[in-house]
Amino acid sequence: MLLRLTWLLLQKDLRVAARSREVFGFMLLFALLCVVVFAFGFLREGEAAAAQVPGVLWVTLLFSGTVGLLRLFAAEEEGGTLVLAERTLAGATPLLLSKALMQLLFSGVTTLLLLPVVLVFFDASLAQPVLVLAALALGLVGQAMLGALVAALLVHVRLREVLLPLVLYPLLAPLVIAGVRITVLTQAGAPAEALEGWLALMLGFDALVLVTAPWLHARVVEL
Amino acid sequence: MTRLLAEGVGWAVDGRFVLVDVELALQPATLTVLTGENGAGKSSLLEILAGTRTPARGAVKLDGVPLPEIAPAHLARRIARLDHAPGLYLELSALENVRLFHALLHPGTAVLDAAALLTDVGLASRDHMRPVRGFSRGMLQRTALARVLASGADVWLLDEPSTGLDRAGCALLADVLQRVRAQGATILLATHDPALLPLADRRLHLDHGHLQPAQVA
Repeated sequence: MLLRLTWLLLQKDLRVAARSREVFGFMLLFALLCVVVFAFGFLREGEAAAAQVPGVLWVTLLFSGTVGLLRLFAAEEEGGTLVLAERTLAGATPLLLSKALMQLLFSGVTTLLLLPVVLVFFDASLAQPVLVLAALALGLVGQAMLGALVAALLVHVRLREVLLPLVLYPLLAPLVIAGVRITVLTQAGAPAEALEGWLALMLGFDALVLVTAPWLHARVVEL
Repeated sequence: MTRLLAEGVGWAVDGRFVLVDVELALQPATLTVLTGENGAGKSSLLEILAGTRTPARGAVKLDGVPLPEIAPAHLARRIARLDHAPGLYLELSALENVRLFHALLHPGTAVLDAAALLTDVGLASRDHMRPVRGFSRGMLQRTALARVLASGADVWLLDEPSTGLDRAGCALLADVLQRVRAQGATILLATHDPALLPLADRRLHLDHGHLQPAQVA
């Protein structure tokens, strides 16, 4: 039942996003803009600094993901369906899961499109692409779930646009730090064993968020 | 037998009680009209009766069971609401909205004939496939009414349902309400619309948080 309701809501979100055409386009545009700004900001003697790729990549994904999160519940707010959706119709958990999946889909596609752009702009290459992609996947899962939770908790709050990054970024710090470290280490040619600790941290973070976020959201909605 | 019962319900905003010890028993196959000044607490009372707002005092029971003890999904199948907001996804068509809400409420059941419901509430077939973002207030209200019909609920809590409706729309709304009442539904209708008052089996007035029988002219 949970999967069926989540799927129904996700289908609805995809249809709404396809018609409004506002979220994904802006995420991608914002991400490209960040990369361009960073590329010029990190110019050294006329050349982009390849060493900055890990930081630029993760910070850009964090920022562009925020653009998506700020619009995650827009359809519910505009049509007055939020209370219907979260408290009665499908229940809090399918709503949160569908929003997290939606965010994951958009940020995943943004990442796939952005990665080659970053590498071209910074004249870099991925030393161990599989490991970097695995780290990015873990990072995006955690960001999507935790981001959807924070967006849901702030949806009735005035100034939520300001509060969302202020609340979310510190919470995501362990995930981003681990992601950056993995990317740095792979660029430096470190052996896979050197990454195990950071990967375990990301896995543990995601597991914790995936278990606690739906529970916490359901409790808050009941209040 | 009482279907929906409010016992000593109280609700406060900024420390001021807008609902004071409200006692209300709603029976099957009845239509109760609730009147009151703006800000009298009608919408708050409807939200508390629907279970989407927890009262500061008292309790609400559906068929004798307190609302917090009823699973949200079951509650949504029993109690339908029509509020100031249309409760629709604006990028979806009227048809998609009605189908979605039916599918969420009754997953796994046969696909609903949403087109027939929309035609029932007076929405022309050329408008069924249009995103409702382009609808007028009255068309949104008709679509929202179709959503409520699609729920199959036996308790209807309606807050100013005639908002935006033209004369034909109001007549159609009255027809729908009479029909679902005849089928056994319990209807509570908060309204300022004099055209809907004659439908009432009982009229109540909310005055400074106190619920009392309305003075009928």
